[in-house]
Amino acid sequence: MSIRVMVVDDSSFSRAVIAEALVEGGFEVVGEAESIDSLIQVYDECKPQVVTMDIAMPGADGFECSKALILHDPKVKIVLVSSMKDEETEQEAKRIGIAGYVQKPVEAEDLVKIINSVLAPDIVYNSLEEWAIGVFQEAMEQSITRMTKTTAVVKVGQSLNHAVSQGVTVVIGIIGKYSGNMIVDLSVEASENLSKIVLRRDAKNSEEVVALVAEFANVVGGVACSMLNKKEKAFGLRVAPPSVFYGKETQIVSPNIQCRVLEVEADFGQMTLSVGFKKGSVLWM
Amino acid sequence: MDVNAINPILDAFVNILPQLGFQQIDKKGVKLEDGVLTNPGLIINIGVMGPLKGAILIGMTVDNAKMFASKMMMGMEVTQLDDLAQSAISEMGNMVCANACTNFSQEGMSGLDISPPTLLMGKDAKIKLSVPKAVGVTFSVDGIEIIVYVGLF
Repeated sequence: MSIRVMVVDDSSFSRAVIAEALVEGGFEVVGEAESIDSLIQVYDECKPQVVTMDIAMPGADGFECSKALILHDPKVKIVLVSSMKDEETEQEAKRIGIAGYVQKPVEAEDLVKIINSVLAPDIVYNSLEEWAIGVFQEAMEQSITRMTKTTAVVKVGQSLNHAVSQGVTVVIGIIGKYSGNMIVDLSVEASENLSKIVLRRDAKNSEEVVALVAEFANVVGGVACSMLNKKEKAFGLRVAPPSVFYGKETQIVSPNIQCRVLEVEADFGQMTLSVGFKKGSVLWM
Repeated sequence: MDVNAINPILDAFVNILPQLGFQQIDKKGVKLEDGVLTNPGLIINIGVMGPLKGAILIGMTVDNAKMFASKMMMGMEVTQLDDLAQSAISEMGNMVCANACTNFSQEGMSGLDISPPTLLMGKDAKIKLSVPKAVGVTFSVDGIEIIVYVGLF
């Protein structure tokens, strides 16, 4: 069965040219929209696998239309088709979550290539998915041994994207070819025990405990990302500074990210680490 | 942190919200916060790396979050913050921060990148940032109060 594509462009001429190139490439054009007005309705009716999107359109431009579509369906695969191509457009497209980019005038061959790549499994991303949890497990074990001089049992738990805090929650953003989040969560008691072991004395106050837990999580995240970068340079992962949530029960959700979970049993108590990445790389042609 | 550094983020907020169906966006006040914030109910945390580092957080009460999500989803009734509402609110955070990166780069600061949003729901929980001071800007968005916290260094 051929791949179903929807074309968004304000110019009927451009739509015809793109549709022709798509058909020539063996795709099926299942819907067309000329502006944001009919965009969502046509998308819902024709359920395309890929949407081609013009950038310059009167009213809402291709970026705004893409945002509206992504809000409507976070899984949508959008390929920008435009005469503009510069670094800033490229970065903006990446941040919004656009999957690919083809420059006008459209060559059927380029369009075929980019649509096939957008739909193909992303090998680099799949490697990250495959390696991440094991590497974070190793980084966790290593960091506990180095910082507390004790050992811990670290097991892979059930995947999920929401949890309720046990008391102290460190949220660390991960940035790179694929961005993601790492969340470390433990009870107040376990945090105090961890601080006591690392500092070899009682913490002076809760601020010191919170700071120490943040630093611990930061070390685990930093070590894991360096290990992953060593396995695959293209990841280019870095950790953003931590934010720590504490003091009241908190629900933690990472929307649209499937997080893998590590369960830690250590001398200082229990701790969980969840980590997940989103596909966010843009293919350019 | 240079207080002027918050302008590209505020501009992004004012620029993106109308695209999501909101009409009246007013800046109500700016407050210098210390490095520990209090969660008003729901907070979106987005990590930032590059020439500026830290986090951008967007906070609102749970009731306001429901109203906000309802408006984003074209008036659909939102009685609880389910997956769909959570996804809509966090996507707003992502778009505002992505647009802020674009604004920064137009002002000559390129190379900023952001993490995906994490939602944290827990009224009155404390949030320790990685910076000693943050700026909190309160907006009224069609009457819904939303605070944008900028904790970058």
